[in-house]
Amino acid sequence: MALFDSAPRVFFAAAALRLVLLVYGGWQDAHSAVKYTDIDYMVFTDAARYVSKGETPYARDTYRYTPLLAWMLLPTAWEAPAPWSSVTFAFGKILFALADVLAGWLAVQLLTRFYRLSPERALRYVAAAWLWNPMVANISTRGSSEGLLGVLVAALLWATLTRKAVLAGLILGLAVHFKIYPFIYGISILWWWDAERDGAVSARDISWIFQALRFITPSRVKLTLSALISFAVLNLVMYNQYGMPFLHHTFFHHLTRIDHRHNFSPYAILLYLSAAGNTESHFEALAFLPQLLLVVVAIPLVLAKKSLATTMLAQTFAFVTFNKVCTSQYFLWYLILLPFYLPSSEFIRKPALGISAALLWVIAQALWLQQAYNLEFLGLSTFVPGLFLASLFFFAVNVWILSIIVCDGGQSMDLDFQDKE
Amino acid sequence: MKRRITYIQRPEAPFAPEQVTLLSKSVQIEGLDAAREDRITFDLDDLPEELRAVCRQSQELHIRWATERPFDAIAPFASRVSPGLHVHYTPVTAGQSSDALCSVLRTAFGVVEDDVICTSPEDSFIAPPLRATESGIAASLQYHTQLPSLTSLVDSLVKTACAGDGPCTAHDLTLLLKADNVDLDFDITSNTLTMSGVWNNAPESVWSETIKGPVSKADKVEFGLLGAEKGIDADEIKVGGLLAVVGEDKKLKPTMFSFPSRHHALPQSAGYMVSFAEPTGLHPTMSISIPRSSLGLPPAPDDTTCGLYTYLTLPSSVFADQYQIGSTDSLFLRSHNLAGLRAHAGETDLEAPDWVVKRWGSTWLIELATPDLDSAVQSANWTATIPLHLRYLNPSESGYRSADVPWPVVFWACSAEDEEAGMGINPFDRKHLGYDSLFAPRTLFYQFHPRSDRLVEEIDFPVLHLKDGEGLFKSRNIELATCAVISLGFLWILWRLVQVTWSSGLGSNGKTERSHKHDKKE
Repeated sequence: MALFDSAPRVFFAAAALRLVLLVYGGWQDAHSAVKYTDIDYMVFTDAARYVSKGETPYARDTYRYTPLLAWMLLPTAWEAPAPWSSVTFAFGKILFALADVLAGWLAVQLLTRFYRLSPERALRYVAAAWLWNPMVANISTRGSSEGLLGVLVAALLWATLTRKAVLAGLILGLAVHFKIYPFIYGISILWWWDAERDGAVSARDISWIFQALRFITPSRVKLTLSALISFAVLNLVMYNQYGMPFLHHTFFHHLTRIDHRHNFSPYAILLYLSAAGNTESHFEALAFLPQLLLVVVAIPLVLAKKSLATTMLAQTFAFVTFNKVCTSQYFLWYLILLPFYLPSSEFIRKPALGISAALLWVIAQALWLQQAYNLEFLGLSTFVPGLFLASLFFFAVNVWILSIIVCDGGQSMDLDFQDKE
Repeated sequence: MKRRITYIQRPEAPFAPEQVTLLSKSVQIEGLDAAREDRITFDLDDLPEELRAVCRQSQELHIRWATERPFDAIAPFASRVSPGLHVHYTPVTAGQSSDALCSVLRTAFGVVEDDVICTSPEDSFIAPPLRATESGIAASLQYHTQLPSLTSLVDSLVKTACAGDGPCTAHDLTLLLKADNVDLDFDITSNTLTMSGVWNNAPESVWSETIKGPVSKADKVEFGLLGAEKGIDADEIKVGGLLAVVGEDKKLKPTMFSFPSRHHALPQSAGYMVSFAEPTGLHPTMSISIPRSSLGLPPAPDDTTCGLYTYLTLPSSVFADQYQIGSTDSLFLRSHNLAGLRAHAGETDLEAPDWVVKRWGSTWLIELATPDLDSAVQSANWTATIPLHLRYLNPSESGYRSADVPWPVVFWACSAEDEEAGMGINPFDRKHLGYDSLFAPRTLFYQFHPRSDRLVEEIDFPVLHLKDGEGLFKSRNIELATCAVISLGFLWILWRLVQVTWSSGLGSNGKTERSHKHDKKE
């Protein structure tokens, strides 16, 4: 398709899509009682307003993010005359949309340089999964901050593949500070980044002590230290400024929260039961075990050295699938990693498989959403069996897709060795 | 003990002098069509032990009860509160409230401890925004619960305060069961507890009774028969009629006086209806409908500005999102015919399920938009809608639970520019209604009349459907199925990872190829 010949054209279209949505969103907000802008964006901008008045962003209930976000959105608190006020209000959305496009650009760079894709194919995959994906453009222009994670993850991958250990560490620390979950990428990057990645000759015949010592490489040390330092410095600065509420809302809340509201997680009904005191075994207290064993230990250990991006995708997919809480914004977390995985995946090699996977995923979502609609808007008690079975089915579909990603990851091979030669 | 019984006749009600006879030790009433107020002032020593103990630990205690039945509220008894039991409480020392209050609510008032939570005022009451009132500050803690009948209170008083030969009798007390409003007021300065009941209509269409004078010198019984009408000033009520101190006065004394009144009744046509659109789902919308024709400004003094308000008293399982209805977006407000959220207090956590909520609920003062009465569009009713949300409740056997939402009160509030001026003396004044303290002291309230057979709406909640120990989806099976499915999913992925390791190890797939190349080069 001629459209994908030119990178500027693809990026221009992506930017235009977002611009149209931004303008449309502004129009809808001004003309309809049903707002285009996400509720979360109102939380961010309220928090930014508190910050601009010298108060803490946590004065806004349900602000559960790093103060960095409120700081970044300070321009939204500027008072401006009429036409400009809508621009200052949209500042954060513009930022999120630009972050989207930047993430897409980084992905294209990586695909052509390290994954040996022709520019046209690279553009095609990135456009399909990310740049032209209406869900991605919609989420960022509605003002959800999840899009920022996209650019952080793309940048982390870029810094890693271009062997900038300190930069990768700094980005990792920032990403974890922003939204705890990217710490899982730290594990796979560390395991991936062995001495051979830095050009050392592989040595198989040495004793295990030397093998163990060889694990500690300058790159790994630099990465770890810079990640710890950026994470610690950011937290110290924020703690110094906002004290315990910062720690509580940014981190502890997410670790201790039990979201009782229905969500896609297979644990949802069990959590409702146990929170209301109706369970005997408290299996849900161990929910972190299968999740972390897969995400932090098994998947990185087996796959990371074979293909870093696929490993990160599998980790994210497993993290979301096995999480105690799962809402649709979490699905955005793995979209940015799809262009790295899809070109060599079985889903593309066997279109029938790919289409069935996509269909099953959508059907499982639709089944769940129908039950949730009946509950939420029609007031029918669909917790069991409706929502319960729908969430288990959705979980099963996700596990099946994950198993294919894992198999693909086992057969794949990062091309970046050849790249160095 | 002091008792004051006042009959207020509507202007159109018939009256013949022989309907009231003053005897040497009593007053006899025959077939009188009137509203009635019975106000008894108890010395603390006469009260049931537990109630006395609570008063001793109170700076102020104001209890307001309103029936769920509809009633006409006529001047000077025009004020209204939502149905149920409202408690406004200020402890003697801030932070040291009486734990006995909750147990009194259960024992003396018969509040059923089912879903209602009351452990101690600090834990279960809410703290409304403070605002200076004429009598100092508003009560610092507030409680509400549904309470259809005052049977327990009556039983308890029959056995104690009214057991002797004082001026209150068991018969008088049983009448309280049919009252529209019952108030209990204690404050530390008077050190007495006043109980007043108001009947806007006689339970059996007319009143016939004998009011006995006091037996002991310490007691006093006052009687009044008055007709009420509008005063000369817009905020005044003028009354005229007959007064007597029973057992002292030899004949009824004619009287005529007027006083400023905080609360005024709107004409009977000014009614409102409250409903929830079906299906309510997890996000019920409360509709308040008022006939457009009765939305003209009330006859308030010229120097006041008026707003149309509603005051919601919501149980903990139902709540409003303060950020949603507190929005200043004119499109949102217009779509709901609201002017804005003016005050709120209590449980407003958007995420907490009901079983972690400790306080009884929340209160919301919302200003409603008013229609453009000149506009061509003239649908019969003006409807304001208030979006609400439900909390998660405990599972039940049917899969549903219900919550009773008392109808809110709807009124015009008209405040004068001069905020500081106080209100003149009104022998029938009623304060501490929850919403009055949110306005300037000299605010006038014009009450709309609720129109329904029962002033409580029942909402059904969908909850987890759980039959104890039976059925395929009993609690144990849900646990086991969740556990099994997740374990299987986990093991399957783990198995796939093991397969990968068997076929290509933990290292890079490119590594072997690459080291071969190296070997060749060497």
